[in-house]
Amino acid sequence: MGNKQTIFTDEQLDAYQDCTFFTRKEILRLHGRYHELAPHLVPMDYTNEPDCKVPLALIVNMPELKENPFRNRIVESFSEDGMGNLSFNEFVDMFSVLSEMAPRELKAIYAFKIYDFNVDNYLCKEDLEKTLNRLTKEELTPEEVQLVCEKAIEEADLDGDSKLSFADFENMITRAPDFLSTFHIRI
Amino acid sequence: MTSYSNGAFFNPAYHDSETLEIDRSSSKTHHTNPYAGDDRAVAHYSTGPTSSDDVAGRVPWGGWQEESWKGRESIPMGLMSTRPGSPSWQHDLNHSTFQIPPGSQYDRSTSVRLPSAPSGNMTMRWRGITMRRMSMFPNGNPTHIAFTEDAIRNEMENEEQNLVKELVALSTRDRILAIRDLPMSVDEKKHIRSQVLAFKSSKQSRQFTCFADCSENVSLSFRRCGYSLRSARQTLELWHGIMKEIGGTFGTSVLSYFVFLKWLLMFNIFSFLVNFGFITIPLLVFDPSPNIPPNVSFRGLEILTGAGYFQYTVMYYGGYSNETLKGPVEYNMQLAYFFTIAIYMVLCGIALIFSMASSFKKNYVLADPSSNKAWQLLSSWDFSITNEKAVRQRKNNLRVQLKESLSEKAQRELLTLSEKLKHFGVYLGFWLLSTGLTVGCGASIYYLCQYEQQQATDAANWSLLQEAQTLLVPFVVSLMNLVVPLFYSLFNKFEHYSSHRRQIYALVVRNVLLKMSILAVLCYYWMNVVAKKFSCWESMVGQALYRLVIFDFLFLMLGSFFGEFLSNVIGTRLLPRLGVPEFDVARNVLELIYAQTLAWIGIYFSPLLPAIQIFKLFILFYIKKVSLTRNCQPPRRSGRAAQMQTIFIALLFLPCFVGALSMVAYTAWILTPSEQCGPFRGLNNTFSVVGVWIDDLGGIPGSQWVVWIYQNVIKSEIFYFLISLIIIVIIYIFWQVTQGRKQLIVLLRQQIVNEGKDKSFLLDKLQSLQKCQPDKKSKQKTQKKDEHSLGGQSNSNAMVQALLARQQLEEEEEGRDTGGVPVPSDISTSSALIQAMLARQRAYDQDGDERLSSSSALSQAVQARQMAEGQETDEYYSTDFSENPINTSSAVAQAMQARQRAEEEDGADDLPSSVSSVMMQVMQARQIAEEEDRPQWVPAPTQNPSPAGSSALIQAMLARQQAQNEYDDGY
Repeated sequence: MGNKQTIFTDEQLDAYQDCTFFTRKEILRLHGRYHELAPHLVPMDYTNEPDCKVPLALIVNMPELKENPFRNRIVESFSEDGMGNLSFNEFVDMFSVLSEMAPRELKAIYAFKIYDFNVDNYLCKEDLEKTLNRLTKEELTPEEVQLVCEKAIEEADLDGDSKLSFADFENMITRAPDFLSTFHIRI
Repeated sequence: MTSYSNGAFFNPAYHDSETLEIDRSSSKTHHTNPYAGDDRAVAHYSTGPTSSDDVAGRVPWGGWQEESWKGRESIPMGLMSTRPGSPSWQHDLNHSTFQIPPGSQYDRSTSVRLPSAPSGNMTMRWRGITMRRMSMFPNGNPTHIAFTEDAIRNEMENEEQNLVKELVALSTRDRILAIRDLPMSVDEKKHIRSQVLAFKSSKQSRQFTCFADCSENVSLSFRRCGYSLRSARQTLELWHGIMKEIGGTFGTSVLSYFVFLKWLLMFNIFSFLVNFGFITIPLLVFDPSPNIPPNVSFRGLEILTGAGYFQYTVMYYGGYSNETLKGPVEYNMQLAYFFTIAIYMVLCGIALIFSMASSFKKNYVLADPSSNKAWQLLSSWDFSITNEKAVRQRKNNLRVQLKESLSEKAQRELLTLSEKLKHFGVYLGFWLLSTGLTVGCGASIYYLCQYEQQQATDAANWSLLQEAQTLLVPFVVSLMNLVVPLFYSLFNKFEHYSSHRRQIYALVVRNVLLKMSILAVLCYYWMNVVAKKFSCWESMVGQALYRLVIFDFLFLMLGSFFGEFLSNVIGTRLLPRLGVPEFDVARNVLELIYAQTLAWIGIYFSPLLPAIQIFKLFILFYIKKVSLTRNCQPPRRSGRAAQMQTIFIALLFLPCFVGALSMVAYTAWILTPSEQCGPFRGLNNTFSVVGVWIDDLGGIPGSQWVVWIYQNVIKSEIFYFLISLIIIVIIYIFWQVTQGRKQLIVLLRQQIVNEGKDKSFLLDKLQSLQKCQPDKKSKQKTQKKDEHSLGGQSNSNAMVQALLARQQLEEEEEGRDTGGVPVPSDISTSSALIQAMLARQRAYDQDGDERLSSSSALSQAVQARQMAEGQETDEYYSTDFSENPINTSSAVAQAMQARQRAEEEDGADDLPSSVSSVMMQVMQARQIAEEEDRPQWVPAPTQNPSPAGSSALIQAMLARQQAQNEYDDGY
């Protein structure tokens, strides 16, 4: 790692360390991974903050995401344009939120975004059905899917609007202690 | 202001979504309160044309109507631009058209909730703010008409300035933590951070610059140092790659075993360093050669038995001297031994208590088993899994589980009493059986120990056979630990517990009982028999523990061979029905806990036992890893691993650590140390070493305080009595606080539920209202364009619609009127809707009582109408409308007159409220209009000054007029 200084300046690394849950070493490792995704696109030198984005198709092929049923949603949730093109900052952001150190509240916000397929700020039944289909390889019958989703909404919906708002979701998450360990991607 | 507008929510789908109108309209306003957003949205709805279809909504309403719309719409806009701080806009809102007064209630409630914990909750609040911001400016280009981009930009700048100010006020460390927790992208965080830094430096430059620069530099270098320490720790972190692989293949629950193992390893490394550093190294430095009797030599069997040659080394208690080592400094071995062990035990206890408490807080207190489906759907997926096969299997498992739970739901209700009794009998039988097994194991160990004690002699030099005989007890103990749990697992298969969790708990409890009872018997034997028989009994106990540790290790290896490898072979080759075994996390963790208990008990008798433990855990990690990847499949049930982990830490603390601690404490306080060997030879008990030391100190001037502390604190019963009393009181208080919080949680949840119900009720109303409004609008449009086309419509249809609209509008009107009633502002409920409900209810009550009140325009209207209807009973407008339209309209007019009369009377009697007077004006105008030419009435009300408070009413009137208008046109 002799070329460490040429990738980021110290100030940049400080900023990253202050703003994410990563150490400088991890930032550099992340940069390496990011660079690997598209060597021709991503420059090695980030001192002048080049504006480049890696498209979704390349990112979801990372081994960490490749098998994840929500891979597209994860990447989309963290991309500024909503289409899944990630700049390095967004890339860092994604793994920072998914890291071990991130607090539950922060994770909950992004998990909500990930599950909110139609981006309407509510987890409605369609969202849950999509989630369920991704989790079960679409092998449940439509009736079962319906039933499970209805039950899930019934259980978690506090305010009775038959869809889950962020408050409902967060409330459910605080009651599901595993979430903190399962909403976690090791990089 | 790119920083907010580029929120990750941008998505074209957002614009197309029909369901989002609420959100979008609220996105233009800016609240300090998440709930108020929806309220405002409600307000927009009731204002009339929603902003989304504003273009259509504005035009068609005739002259004065449009005027009034504009007027009303300008109100929130004014709010937006005039709002420098929240209070003023809330104030404005109260005066605005309608009923956001409750909105201020909302805000009050949040302001009560949020700052309650001053600094700790700050990040939470930011999180809330920023979350809201994301949800409020979701699409980045708010092109809605009512609010200019400037207003929004101002808002966001304000918001950001506030955030920056708050951040500046914090200490560096807190600030970094807060920035990290902000739910923004890194770009935004960087932006905020640079602003904060700039702000800070500008502020500092005005003050004494040199010192500030210095401190800033120092803090920066400290921070960098901290980061590099963290980096270094990560470099040292063991098995990062392996852990990732295991987590990726087997999921978090299996990984938790390895995390636990690693944690124990760290624990033991720490204790080894402490013991080795403070006890062994000083001894070795001053006296490097162990004083081994000449006839003892290393024979190889010692590695298993720990006896013979090892007995005279620093491995055991007996190898340490009681001298004060004299070199460059004096080193009192007695004190060093005592304090090292004592401090180590205390540190272990503290570490355990803290990790247990935090784990409980995180994983257990809030856990709620009821929401199972939602949990399975939304938070059971393990994002760390990266293995394709594992993902497939997991999906299958989840599917099976869901199907099972769907069928279970139906089954569970069918359980009859006899079946229940049968289940109960089975549980009882197996519990008796397992307890019997435990007792039998304990008893047999006891008799075995007695047998061993008869065989063993106190000679310095044992024959090989004698040495080998000592292996009997550890062998049997380990065998029991291996075999009996298998029986327990077998029992579990027959018991059919209703929930997986209960099954695991039963298994864990039985295993813990078994292991603890075996250890208790052994301890009893050591304390009461060995301590009296052998001249150097501590070393004998140390040896016994060493053997137990070694045999436990061997049997763990055997266990993973038989338990996992063989059942894999059987499952794949011989009996495919059984399938590939799963990794039993509970059993394996309990084995680790047992091993750690042995190490803790042994710490006094064999200070270097942690070294063996380190070695053992290190090897075990790789063995288990290989066994896992070769033989096992991921667990079928993704149980709630985090809770299990909490339970394991609790188990490690409560029976295990506390048991080991009490055993060591008993040894140190009560038992007489052996007279031939060890650091405490010649003392009555180990603890008296402190007394001797204090006596010595008494002679040295300047150390009187130590003596005083010893006499008055350590040795005094009153001190301990008081301490226990205080602790009990504190526990009681905290207990009460907890109970109170629990009640509060229930109440708050109830409140959320109520609010939700109210919200949905109002939304329903609004939606039905909205449904009929576009209808009318479109109709009016077409009507204006082409009257003939409307004439083609069915008469009755138009009328039904008109009636419906009217009814709804009247309901709305009621709601608003009552909402407009001044409500005492100190009502403590946070819910605007509840207030509205209450007010409405009050209005209904008043109706019921037939009591006229100036504050309730509604009740007046209803009563007046009743009167009018009483007079004109022959033609009731809603029933005879279609048959006799002309009469009906005249009847309506009459009813209105009557109402007006009634209101005038009321107005004379009661305090004239603005609402009722405006209503009267409207009525009058309307009456005039109705009595005159119908097509001309439309512009009339424009002349009325419509004060803010009356607009809701006007709207309702308007709609009613329209309904009539339509009816007339249809007619």
